[in-house]
Amino acid sequence: MSAFLRFDGVSKRYGAVRAVEDCALEIERGEFYSLLGPSGCGKTTLLRILAGFERPDTGRVLLDGEDITELPPNRRKVNTIFQNYALFPHLTVYENIAFGLRVARRPSAEIRAEVARMLALIQMEDQAGKRPDQISGGQKQRVAIARALINRPSVLLLDEPLAALDLKLRQRMLIELDQIHDEVGITFLYVTHDQGEAMSLSDRIAVMNAGRIEQIGRPTEIYESPRSSFVAAFIGDTNFFEGVGVEAVNGDYLRVAVDGLPPLLCFNDKRIPAGGRVSLSVRPEKMHLSRDPPADTERRNVVAATVEDVIYLGSHTRYWARVGRHRVAVQQQHSRYLLDERPITWKERVWLSWHADDGYMLEQYRAADEGLLSLPSAGGAA
Amino acid sequence: MRRSRVPWAVTAGVLVFLYLPIAVLVVNSFNASRYGGTWEGFTLSWYARLFRERSVWLALRNTALIGAGATLVSVVLGTAAAFALHRYDSRLQRIHFTLIYTPLVIPEILMGMSLLIFFAAAGLRLGLFTVFLAHVTFCISFVAMVVLARLQDFDESLLEAARDLGADGWTATRRVLLPLLAPGIAAGALLAFTLSIDDFVITFFVAGPGSTTLPVRIYSMIKHSRQLPTINALSTLLLAATFLAAAASRRMAERSGSCT
Amino acid sequence: MTARNRPRRFEWAVTAPSFLWLLLFFVAPTAIVFAIALKPADRFGGIQPGWTLETLRVLAQPGLPAILARTFRLSALTTAVCLLLAVPTGYGIARAGPRWRAALLLLIIVPFWTSFLIRVFAWQVLLHPDGPVRRLLTAAGLAAPDALLLYNERAVLLVMVYTHLPFAILPIYAAAEKFDFRLLEAARDLGARAGVAFARVFLPGIRRALLTATLMVFIPALGSYVIPDLLGGPSSEMLGNKIAQRALADRNLPQASALSALLTLAVLAPMFAAFLLQRRRGGAPAGAALEAAR
Repeated sequence: MSAFLRFDGVSKRYGAVRAVEDCALEIERGEFYSLLGPSGCGKTTLLRILAGFERPDTGRVLLDGEDITELPPNRRKVNTIFQNYALFPHLTVYENIAFGLRVARRPSAEIRAEVARMLALIQMEDQAGKRPDQISGGQKQRVAIARALINRPSVLLLDEPLAALDLKLRQRMLIELDQIHDEVGITFLYVTHDQGEAMSLSDRIAVMNAGRIEQIGRPTEIYESPRSSFVAAFIGDTNFFEGVGVEAVNGDYLRVAVDGLPPLLCFNDKRIPAGGRVSLSVRPEKMHLSRDPPADTERRNVVAATVEDVIYLGSHTRYWARVGRHRVAVQQQHSRYLLDERPITWKERVWLSWHADDGYMLEQYRAADEGLLSLPSAGGAA
Repeated sequence: MRRSRVPWAVTAGVLVFLYLPIAVLVVNSFNASRYGGTWEGFTLSWYARLFRERSVWLALRNTALIGAGATLVSVVLGTAAAFALHRYDSRLQRIHFTLIYTPLVIPEILMGMSLLIFFAAAGLRLGLFTVFLAHVTFCISFVAMVVLARLQDFDESLLEAARDLGADGWTATRRVLLPLLAPGIAAGALLAFTLSIDDFVITFFVAGPGSTTLPVRIYSMIKHSRQLPTINALSTLLLAATFLAAAASRRMAERSGSCT
Repeated sequence: MTARNRPRRFEWAVTAPSFLWLLLFFVAPTAIVFAIALKPADRFGGIQPGWTLETLRVLAQPGLPAILARTFRLSALTTAVCLLLAVPTGYGIARAGPRWRAALLLLIIVPFWTSFLIRVFAWQVLLHPDGPVRRLLTAAGLAAPDALLLYNERAVLLVMVYTHLPFAILPIYAAAEKFDFRLLEAARDLGARAGVAFARVFLPGIRRALLTATLMVFIPALGSYVIPDLLGGPSSEMLGNKIAQRALADRNLPQASALSALLTLAVLAPMFAAFLLQRRRGGAPAGAALEAAR
């Protein structure tokens, strides 16, 4: 089955910089699809290639079976929400929204009806006469959406639309975007560096890094089964243990020898063979700290640790625990049911444990993928 | 931190310095004394004399005609130049920019002199037309620089948005670029007009008999020391006109608000 | 959206009108001037065919170097005084509150909009022996009863400063407005006195504008004509006056052209020097001039 929107082997370079390298994507009709990655990963370039503002050096873009690679932007059934909204300052809200239809020379009765419909959709009927400099950021956002949707595009492109908003507003707009997508039902291609946005809105996510696509999947897949250490480090937080695969255990697991620790057991769905260097990744919320060693040790990794830092964050507490040369992050939700009589505190010697199923094996961790937390193991230098 | 008083004192001094002669002129235009050394009573007779002075009215007419014509042509040429300089980055444009920039910095007498020689070599009779040609020549650069500055400040994503919404190149220019550039073009036009009506040196070189402009007329009146007080009256009127124009344009700018 | 996709023809079409006009009415005349400097004059104010260096030789007459020297000297002095006044003024306006600032700028610019001739004439009135200034000075005992304020170099310098001052203030103000004044606070915090902070932090911070202001005063000043003509005596003649005299009064076009060519070279030299200076430091004077022209 051919996908609704396809990127086929698309590459683009600017001088010596490879912005996008041999990208292939397939997006279903009506999907909310995100391109997620750090600055410079190429996600905006892909978006602009789809919108028609950049020409790819190689590859094709196909929309609903039609090759649109050579089409100028004004002839594509694609509309963009720009990062700074790009509302026309000399036109009112009404005229901004009506712009696409006016350019297409639709009859005025149709324009009136459609604009009214859009204004109702974004709930700004009584602001129709205002100018862009008279409305707030969130309202500008909505006008930009209405201006795009009124043309009934096949795909709506959103280029980091929430970047300019403050936190509370961003959270509200997230929900609104979701609702609009549900109501209108067209394909959304959403570009962002914020994983929270991508995870909460998307049907599927393509994680990009340095011009390449690292992994495509549903949010749960991306989070729970990262394919590469970049994805593991970029999405959420995680701890890395570098080591050497010693032996396969029961087919699904791998025992890993890590410098300074007892051998660790880890779920190995990728079937990485023993003998090579591997990276064992465990997310902080999957780890537990306790004063007594856990009773159930079946397929649990248990190591001795010393608490170095405690950061109380209200809904949870983050601990930093030292295990040999590793500094491990642990996150524990608060619940009276799970709490000891005294909360664990600095300098305590505790037991750090996690289930083998909660870890995942990755190829050797690359220092270049480091985004966040834990410092790598032996050697110290990142 | 205690701020030094020196900058304020100097600024105030500079302002007094700048307005002193103007103040004296205005006062003297109502002064019955011929030489303005002492106050000899209030009078409007110099204004009356001015209104009877036909040569002044003729010169004013010439000035207005040339001002309007030169502004029109230089705005078209200057705006086109600004477009070219902004949108393209080539060797041609680098030369183009030098061509536009140089007239701004060389002294007027050089331009006046070279145009005089040029017209003489081309066999053109000196008159209103040669003055017009000269005025366009130096106005183009000013218009181009003003419009270019506005273009450089222009948010290109607006044009992308227009194209994204279905507009082709020309439609995007017509519906988005030109309306937003209009204040800049108007500013350029105003500048060109002001420079044209006030120009003396270049006009002096390339004007012929019968094509006297107001500045040239004023110069000859000054030079021949005839009717000095009439010049005071004329000067005061021109000053008043300038102040009114400045106030009006500020009001216009405030009204159109942030349309940039 | 790339311009590279547009056909070359469009670029030529947009560039041609202004390009050709300036080529015809600016470059060509300048070239002709240089050419005519090398042609012999005829008695009737025209030019004879053929070429000669006679004109250049005639120019080596004794009067000319003095005029050249005076022109440079007065222009340099004007520039120096203008900078001296413009720097504190630009600083003062930039430091003022927003409402003051707009008013002050308007006050500085409006005289610039009024007729240049009128302003020069106003000084003629002011400095006239029967005028208020002279009478005031005499009454205060600061000047002899027959002292002449007009028709000498002092008057020329004064009015040159007067007319060129806004051109110095504006670029310096533009740079001062963008200057981060917290740098001065930091300097004070580190122990520098106000004057030292000003000299070591502010002035270097606006050095591009200082260069722009210098050029925008010095170069037009070199070509002064009206001011020495109306306010200067025979002993304060400048190069511009000489050119006009040769061209319009004596009708000696080759000599006038030669002098023009000389002035052109004199003007291009500092511009070229400034260009080289900017290139070494990075950035273009054109850009700074663009800022100032706004």
